[in-house]
Amino acid sequence: MDVRVKKKKMIISQETMDVDFVRKVEALSDTSVRRCFQCGKCSAGCPMATFMEHPPNRVVRLLQLGQWQRILAGRSIWYCASCETCSTRCPNKVHLASIMDALRKLSWDAEGPSKESYVQLANKLFLQNIRTYGRQYEMRLAAVFNVKSGQFLKDMMLGPKLFAKGKLKMFHSKNKNLAEIEKIFSRIDEMRKKGEAL
Amino acid sequence: MSDLKYAYYPGCSLHASAGEYDLSTRELFKRLSIGLTEIPDWFCCGATPAHNVDELLSLSLCAKNLELADAVEGDVAVACASCFSRLKFTQHTLEENPTKRKQVEKAIDAPVKLDGKVKHLLEILAKDLGLERLAASVNKPLSGLKVACYYGCLLTRPTDVPNLDCTEAPTIMERVVEAAGAETVAWTHRLECCGANFTLSRPGVVIQLTNAILNSAKEAGADCIMVGCPLCHGNLDIRQKEIESVYSTSYNLPVFYLTQLVGLSVGLGSDKLGLDAMIVNPLPLLKEKGLA
Repeated sequence: MDVRVKKKKMIISQETMDVDFVRKVEALSDTSVRRCFQCGKCSAGCPMATFMEHPPNRVVRLLQLGQWQRILAGRSIWYCASCETCSTRCPNKVHLASIMDALRKLSWDAEGPSKESYVQLANKLFLQNIRTYGRQYEMRLAAVFNVKSGQFLKDMMLGPKLFAKGKLKMFHSKNKNLAEIEKIFSRIDEMRKKGEAL
Repeated sequence: MSDLKYAYYPGCSLHASAGEYDLSTRELFKRLSIGLTEIPDWFCCGATPAHNVDELLSLSLCAKNLELADAVEGDVAVACASCFSRLKFTQHTLEENPTKRKQVEKAIDAPVKLDGKVKHLLEILAKDLGLERLAASVNKPLSGLKVACYYGCLLTRPTDVPNLDCTEAPTIMERVVEAAGAETVAWTHRLECCGANFTLSRPGVVIQLTNAILNSAKEAGADCIMVGCPLCHGNLDIRQKEIESVYSTSYNLPVFYLTQLVGLSVGLGSDKLGLDAMIVNPLPLLKEKGLA
């Protein structure tokens, strides 16, 4: 996908509207984008709207118009904090937080055309930790994140303080049922390969 | 003696950065004679990163944990707001959506069990034990302590899922800490987002959002903040000094877990509440109020 789509003039036509993609979003999120009448309440309450190029109501509008490339080319979906304020306040029961989940998943599957790589990296490491250990170990998560994102000094001042307070564990054990956890991951992969799940 | 028994799902943070939440929860429940059995081999619920990019995985991880919880007697007691939200979301989604339910059953290779109740610690204290019984156990009331109760996002949102209290105007935290003898303040940011797990990927976002929360609590005249979520705690407590230096201001607001404040009121000592693990030192405040 071409990220330059962001800067291009939007033309609404049969050719540029991709409704199949929107149907996938609706299936994954179990909500209908057509219910939205653009009152803007979601964006008014969104704590992250200031960091987004498309505030939540515009994300839905772009979906209604089948212009999903514009959403995925930007960083808006990766700046959603999943605080659920939008879903809570929507007068038409559009579950916007779930729509954001669906968009991130589809972007993730397409190997993330979005440029917001830090959030994606953090998510990836978090999921890897579940597979490798069964539980999260924050010290490991933070250390690997810093190395992989090239920010070696990030939060360097916090480390020793947290360690002294016993908040960082140097050693971690693996869950006894790790094989069973791994099976959940692999069964899901298999279902997707067979087309039994999105 | 109370006859309450729970299957305890601590969540990953309580075994690492939020050790004091785990310790104070166990000690408080022991003092209140509420049974707490840790679910054997529980694992990560997937939290925000899992549902962010893979809802089916998130639902499956939670469904499997609910299955493990089912083997332990009693409703599921959850301390972390994020784990609580994910487990409740899973129950809600799988009840409403038969297609997703089938997919999850395939992923965990077992029928999903949705009849077990998932409860946050607040619910157990306020509803199961009850505020009257809680107040009767208080022997060191938190008189004169002005508390700003911070709910954050996931304890009450969205409507119909956590069902802990009213979505936009909850009072459950205030009721619990008032039963412990404290005063509560009315403030604007108790339901605003702290930036949660952006603390790893985009700390700048957290600093901006959390500053607004600390500022609002301070302006309302609070002595301290009470939370029921390890992520909120991390952002408000661990990042407080950094926020103070970025905004050239001083808050000095200790951030307590609900179990620490209630624990104090029933006479538990500092060593049983993990007060020394807090980054913003609460002892000067507690001494000033005659509570330590």
